[in-house]
Amino acid sequence: MASTYEAAVTGGPVIEAKGLGVKFAVNRRRKRSLREMFIHGNKRDPNAEGNEFWPLRDVSFEIAKGDCVGIVGKNGTGKSTLLKMIAGVLIPDEGTVEVRGKVAPLLELRAGFNDNLTGRENVYLVGSLHGMSEKQIDERFDEIVDFAEVKPKFIDTPVRHYSSGMKVRLGFALISQLEHPIMLVDEVLAVGDKAFKRKCYEAIDRMLANERTMVLVSHNERDLKRFCNRGLYIKGGELALDTDIDSALAAYNADTKVEIEERKKKDEAKKKRAEEKAKKVESEQKAVEADAEDKAEKKDEKGEGKDGGRAA
Amino acid sequence: MASRTLAVWEHRKVVGLLVRRDLKVKYQQSVLGYAWTMLEPLALTLVYFFVFGLVLQADRGIPEEAKPYGGYILFLVAGILPWTTFGAILSEAPKAMITHSKLITTMKVPREIFPMATVGTKFVEYLLTWPVLLIFVFALGGRFTWEGMLVWLPLAIVLTFAFGLGVTLFLASVNVLLRDVERLTRILTRILFYGSAILFPASMVLHSDGVPGWAKTIYELNPLMGIFQMHRTVWFAGFEELTPSPLAVTSAVVGSILMLAIGYWTFRRLEMSVLKEL
Repeated sequence: MASTYEAAVTGGPVIEAKGLGVKFAVNRRRKRSLREMFIHGNKRDPNAEGNEFWPLRDVSFEIAKGDCVGIVGKNGTGKSTLLKMIAGVLIPDEGTVEVRGKVAPLLELRAGFNDNLTGRENVYLVGSLHGMSEKQIDERFDEIVDFAEVKPKFIDTPVRHYSSGMKVRLGFALISQLEHPIMLVDEVLAVGDKAFKRKCYEAIDRMLANERTMVLVSHNERDLKRFCNRGLYIKGGELALDTDIDSALAAYNADTKVEIEERKKKDEAKKKRAEEKAKKVESEQKAVEADAEDKAEKKDEKGEGKDGGRAA
Repeated sequence: MASRTLAVWEHRKVVGLLVRRDLKVKYQQSVLGYAWTMLEPLALTLVYFFVFGLVLQADRGIPEEAKPYGGYILFLVAGILPWTTFGAILSEAPKAMITHSKLITTMKVPREIFPMATVGTKFVEYLLTWPVLLIFVFALGGRFTWEGMLVWLPLAIVLTFAFGLGVTLFLASVNVLLRDVERLTRILTRILFYGSAILFPASMVLHSDGVPGWAKTIYELNPLMGIFQMHRTVWFAGFEELTPSPLAVTSAVVGSILMLAIGYWTFRRLEMSVLKEL
């Protein structure tokens, strides 16, 4: 299994994934998985039906220290799943992922905030949960609040009264203070207003300058090009490309274009078919109307009514 | 297994933080705060004293000589206080993973610490019921004995929370996959309440003529019955009717260890599926 709790080892890649794969049960098969646990154990069943879905399979890559890797791909191709496996919060069904060093997960920025506690209490709680010491938080507390643009009078208000933007800003401000050597970022840059976004960019630039490793999942090309020096293109649950970010994006865009074109063609074909159908229906309707007229005329010949109508 | 235990130990601070958070939230939101921890079991004791003590005369199971040392009321309080804690563990257990889903899906920590934090919170709450218990002990003339303090008390506490942790590990993971568990637990808690002889001395069941022999054996094999008997033997050491039988002690010890093992095994087995479902 993945050695999620491995201490930092010097040298070699920081993140190493080998034959990574994860499967999800389709439908309500989880009930079966419960039964399997007690009867067969959780080893892979060779006769398993095709009732499972592999969002990711056979993904291998290495990420060296200081790299900033962007992951691109369509929705639902397993990008976030991959990030979760690197973060160690999802256990792969196949293969291993080794991470050397602590990970700062910027996956869900409000994560861990308890609605009933105040902003201050939450900062201390979540900060400590992520391994910051009380002294560290004390030192950076003002900076965090300042960065998050939370007004001082609100910091001692329960978080449930915060706006969603405030919560996310506070979350980002806090997590960006973590000094973990590896950062996982999942589309968080899409939040906040323009001014805050700029601050986030600056914070990330600063973190990257510190020889930190970052894995970024985003749909925003500008973000990706700005930060990343490497790109992983995931297509259909497999690693399609492992190159620089520009080529990965180019491949992704090319595929997207092809897909859009295909869809257009399909749409057109559909339209055509629909039009034809409409025409057909129309003509049939006419026929029926004519038929009705016909029927009214010659009531005695029921069976031949339709044919007669079409002929007319 | 050993490395996992080490990982849990390394994250003991996280358990502490979660426990402190839960207590803070709990006591911050109510005006009476800590008073509730005392009021609830007190009200229950009063009701049960009237219904079972005065109306149904369950106090006849208490030996005459034990009456000066607190009698039926102390017997009730000493059983109801730990049961309130245990019942709270049972009702929180199925939710132990679900309520922390946000944290579990973003933080890389051994997942066991979440059920542990739930049980830890309840342990602190249990300690907070002790002042109430001591008031009753002093007011009713309960006696402190070496046997009670050094044998039965530590045994009772260790077994209660070992069993509680086992149940929590089990229910927390299974409930993520099968939400029915939460409902089922509520019914089981009711049954266990009567099955563990909280309101009357177990000897009343075991020496009753109306109960068939096999039912008595099952009754004695319920580990919780032995455990809660121990909680009361602390104050009634030396009275044979109120001391768990060797069979009850054995089933309490073996049952708790077994429950812990089953709970942990299930938890680890289901961990992968649970993470996917959260």
